[in-house]
Amino acid sequence: MNCEGQLLMTQAPPVRPNPGLFKRNPPIAGEAEAIEAAKNGDAEAFSKLYTLHKRRVYTLCLRMLGNVSEAEDMTQEAFLHLFRKLSSFRGESAFSTWLHRLTVNLVLMHLRKKGLNLVSLEETINPSEEDAPKRDFGSRDSVLAGSVDRVALERAVASLPPGYRMVFVLHDVEGFEHNEIATMLDCSTGNSKSQLHKARLKLRELLRQNTQSPQPAASTEAVK
Amino acid sequence: MTKQGEINFDTLKPEEFEHYLPDLFATGNGKVSQDPRLQKFLAANPDCAALVRDLETIAETARSLFEPVGDPSDKVWTNIQTKLREESARASNSEAEDDEVKEID
Repeated sequence: MNCEGQLLMTQAPPVRPNPGLFKRNPPIAGEAEAIEAAKNGDAEAFSKLYTLHKRRVYTLCLRMLGNVSEAEDMTQEAFLHLFRKLSSFRGESAFSTWLHRLTVNLVLMHLRKKGLNLVSLEETINPSEEDAPKRDFGSRDSVLAGSVDRVALERAVASLPPGYRMVFVLHDVEGFEHNEIATMLDCSTGNSKSQLHKARLKLRELLRQNTQSPQPAASTEAVK
Repeated sequence: MTKQGEINFDTLKPEEFEHYLPDLFATGNGKVSQDPRLQKFLAANPDCAALVRDLETIAETARSLFEPVGDPSDKVWTNIQTKLREESARASNSEAEDDEVKEID
């Protein structure tokens, strides 16, 4: 598996704009001018880009890593990387989409460096038996009643096993397609679909548990 | 993953449905509950219908998580500025050294 080569933004094949992501990432006033000025070394313009995108980048890192300190480190890395690679941004996709992709790739590289390279990603994505969702439909008495509290879901996502969390965040939150996720994670499209399904099943299980028992304080740490 | 063409919606059993579900969600707009081919099956299997409803609710709510939750601390920007200054200084030194070498040549 050649992670490094695959993950470098500058070596990635040209990305066709994803209409869905454009919808979610509409152009921001003044952004295009700031990008051009920052490409020419304008520090104030780069500061503006940081201000415009720091929350989204930080939130993405936090959701993928589930840890405030690591999320801040990766936010820092993402913007340093952005500064170095900005000249290669040609506007083929929305800037925020491009920046998200760059951030995702850096986080994945970081996770692999942390130890995920010791085992295959397929294994890493597959959590232990204990973490896996129960393979039953459950009773109708405890269905989620058609609505899930955003905060409760945020908390449940934070407590997902890392592999499940990654696929769920990339697909359901960030809007990446299965084929894009498969490329990023170096797995098959079928595997991405399957992991997403397991992640949702696990979330359902966690959310149903939460409605039946009070939430322990410790599990909220990661989303603070 | 199974091709949807292989599914016989008239004889579908709950266990088979669970097996096909990841693919059913991945195709179309992800609204399995509105798939006309599944209406009869879902009506006859309320537990499966409840599962589908829950998973759709989770996926829909997940979209709201796209909005940011908070800012990184101020030290992140301070660190970025420091690192960029260091990089810039290194680059300037390197250019100056190159110029000196050219002059000697």
